[in-house]
Amino acid sequence: MRSLTASMLLWVALAGCEGVTPPTPVDAAAPDDVPVAPYVPQAATLRRLTQSQYANTVHDLFGDAVVVPRALEPDTSREGSRAIGASEASLSPRGAEQYQDAAYAIAEQVLRDATRRAANVSCTPTGPDDAACAATVVRALGRRAWRRPLTDDEVNALVAVAMRAATTLTDFHRGLEYALATMLQAPDFLYRVELGADAAGERRFAGYELASRLSYFLWDGPPDDALLDAARDGALDTEAGLTREVDRLLAAPKARRGLRAFVTDWLQLANLDALSKDATVFPSFSADLGAAAREEVLRNAEAFTFDAEGDFRDFFTTRETFVNRRLAALYGVQFPRRDAPLTEFVRVTLPTAVPRRGFLGSVAFLALEAHPVSTSPTLRGKFIRQQLLCYNIPAPPVNVNTAIPEPSPSLRTLRQRLERHMSERSCRSCHITLDPVGLAFERFDGIGRFRLDDNGAALDLSGTLDGRAYSDEMQLYAALHDHPLLPECVVERLYRHAWANVETGEQRSEIVRLRTAFAASGYRLRTLLRDIATGPAFRRARAPEATDGGAP
Amino acid sequence: MRPLDRRTVLKGVLGGAAVSIALPPLEAMMNGNGTAYAGGAAFPKRFGVYFWGNGVLPERWTPAGEGAAWTPSPILMPLAALREHLTVVSGTRIATLNTRPHGSGPAGLLSGDNMTGEGFSRASIDQIIAGTIGGETRFRSLETGVQRSDESLSYAGPMQRNPTESDPYALFNRLFGEGFRAPGEMTMADPRIGLRRSVLDAVTAQGGRLRSRLGATDRQRLDEHLTAVRGIERQLQRLEENPPNLAACRRPDAPPAEVPDLLGRPDMPRRARLMADLLAMALACDLTRVFFHMYSQSVNNTLFGAAPAGHHQLTHDEPGDQPLVFSILQLIMADLATFLTALRNVTEGDGTLLDHTLVLCTTDCSFGRTHALDEYPIVLAGGASAGMRRNLHLRARGENATKVSFSILQMMGVRATEFGVGPGRVTEGLGGLVA
Repeated sequence: MRSLTASMLLWVALAGCEGVTPPTPVDAAAPDDVPVAPYVPQAATLRRLTQSQYANTVHDLFGDAVVVPRALEPDTSREGSRAIGASEASLSPRGAEQYQDAAYAIAEQVLRDATRRAANVSCTPTGPDDAACAATVVRALGRRAWRRPLTDDEVNALVAVAMRAATTLTDFHRGLEYALATMLQAPDFLYRVELGADAAGERRFAGYELASRLSYFLWDGPPDDALLDAARDGALDTEAGLTREVDRLLAAPKARRGLRAFVTDWLQLANLDALSKDATVFPSFSADLGAAAREEVLRNAEAFTFDAEGDFRDFFTTRETFVNRRLAALYGVQFPRRDAPLTEFVRVTLPTAVPRRGFLGSVAFLALEAHPVSTSPTLRGKFIRQQLLCYNIPAPPVNVNTAIPEPSPSLRTLRQRLERHMSERSCRSCHITLDPVGLAFERFDGIGRFRLDDNGAALDLSGTLDGRAYSDEMQLYAALHDHPLLPECVVERLYRHAWANVETGEQRSEIVRLRTAFAASGYRLRTLLRDIATGPAFRRARAPEATDGGAP
Repeated sequence: MRPLDRRTVLKGVLGGAAVSIALPPLEAMMNGNGTAYAGGAAFPKRFGVYFWGNGVLPERWTPAGEGAAWTPSPILMPLAALREHLTVVSGTRIATLNTRPHGSGPAGLLSGDNMTGEGFSRASIDQIIAGTIGGETRFRSLETGVQRSDESLSYAGPMQRNPTESDPYALFNRLFGEGFRAPGEMTMADPRIGLRRSVLDAVTAQGGRLRSRLGATDRQRLDEHLTAVRGIERQLQRLEENPPNLAACRRPDAPPAEVPDLLGRPDMPRRARLMADLLAMALACDLTRVFFHMYSQSVNNTLFGAAPAGHHQLTHDEPGDQPLVFSILQLIMADLATFLTALRNVTEGDGTLLDHTLVLCTTDCSFGRTHALDEYPIVLAGGASAGMRRNLHLRARGENATKVSFSILQMMGVRATEFGVGPGRVTEGLGGLVA
């Protein structure tokens, strides 16, 4: 009944707003205990490796010391998800150039460094044109780079590239660079080729494709040798074998990478790269603050998910966090070493005197959802509604006056100025759901520093979140913690991340299953990841639309 | 003087040391009066879009007077010295639906349709034109920017966005780094170019093996990927040929690796000048004939000059007649003047690069505060060799803005019978624009 109650409550709260709509709960029509229609899978399309997946793949193949060029085709976000963007966007001509440059840069690092060469070239060539040795190398590299065994045709084609280059340059290993550069530019490397096998009118993932699907979901990177072996041996195609591998993947340090990829996307942390603030208004702002703020959130998410295995909702109320010396200064906590590098983070407990708790008290949220010179209650409120509670926020209507009155003796605080601005009905219908939530954070300025007043005037932080009143941000943290849409929304975001699709009513049974299990686990994110990866729905896809079979 | 035989010139190289050898004067490549190459081929016609985000203040944008008797408006004053190269088109409207603030405007003008999802539903005008005039150069088109961003409004098709390069140093390396040769510079033949081409052949063949297993959607995406790969092959092919003999082409100085912010504010004038000089030389060296230059992106909140808040925030929050927004717009126009001046300063025959380049300068709405799409801001610059009438204020009240787009297609030699769809569709250009 929980979800039904939540959605009913929201419709009451939002009566009168034609714009902002709460998420359409996939089970709005019925409570969770009513039988639901069977799961209908969605089509799966090729997913191009995201920037982080590309880097992780190269590092897993050749070692973390290999420098991966940073200039790669940017990730595309669709429906708030980079996973969906990666399954829809096409590569630009510039992106193909960048993949080429990266491929040669990586191939040179692998084959000109003695240690890496020894790790990847197991045979001693008899001369530049030793095709048999080249084939041995190509087969071994190919299995890991393309996440499956290569066919003989494929091996022959790659060996031919290597032989031509080796002969021209009279150097066996230089020749191999060209074969490796071919592998790294091939679609089989740049895309996750998870097409599934025909089964009962749809597609099923098994073996090597399932290995790739699991590792990119849980590790944001390629399968390791053990997972590829499990695929080869058929172990992944038994429930016991699958569960064993999923548990192994989740227990590995690389699982933190997988979580980071999701949290970065969900909380829009990539935007912190471009965090820009007016240094004259915020003297304590520095260009490295955005990176530090992102690392704080990611470390906290890791600790919650894998170390404490805590209740995911406590992420919004905790006093525990991680800081480097920049953040320590801003948060008013002691940092052990004054001259520590900025990459050094320590775990701290925030002081009780300042109402800073959890993600909503972090610089990542407070500075990102603000203007370069000031706070923005609208942006902060919109983030909570849209990213944390999965509301749909429409674009503002056109031809309305958006000007906010200047501060004056009668309009001193931003709340007073915004309320005047909200007197316009077309604005009010939406902003009434956004601004009051954001105004609860007015004790934190545009970079997240605590302050006592705004423009010399006392602050009114009170409001109501979907029926629950709060008097300040501390009570809002608690209201959000208890909000039934908070865990529902994260399940929805994680579904999109894992399947690279926007869920519809046809996937309702899986959403309900995951949500119910999530609640039963006490909202353990690690359990949710496990439930997704081991569930049958993760191995199913709709058959793609028919093709004409024509030539390109 | 005898024209050069292109085939007598040494073949080019990747990564080899460039050496200059004595060549006959480059004028040998031109005809008697310097207006074209020897043999009568005209200087290439180029096209580009110059875009800035967040609209204008329409009342201070529209020039006074019409036709040839026009006076630059207050916002356009920084362009006054270039007025003989400009035509301001005012009064047109975006006819497609205005549902995406800052998005429906550029989509309507540049693609002739409203946005779908989060992008354009059709190719943008620069890419349509690149399909006609982009085939002979090393780069089919270039997408560049001034604000640090890879956001882009250049679309080869739906879900096919060309990201923006906004780092001057990276752009320099791409255009003038390894492999580039100025006219007269020769290098020893490098066998590695041929090897790289064999790699691309193998990549394409491998793509073919995968293709047969894909559904229709993935096939199309893979085909687009492989088309991009073939684009690299073309680039390698160009590197093996002689550089075009254009008198104005020279290797520019490398920009600094970083353009530092000033007190947390991007140094937009400096960034703008560096990018303008690189882009001008890319055109002068005929590395490309089509560009999309994104000065600032839609909804950007850049801290301009001494403004007390970001640009987008001010367009909405600043009350009254928005003097701060006005001063920002003048800064933007000053940087546009920098760009157009960089083109004008390159001599080509008895004209300039600006004469041989048609630039569509526009933004994402008319009045930033309300996201309005009537009185759409459009300035056309250069374009003499394309037959554009200049030094005009063309008042076209109520006309469909896509008529301007259609006229541009015609002037650039695209054989089009229509542009846009639905209410954005037009089958004729804007009267008075083409000479």
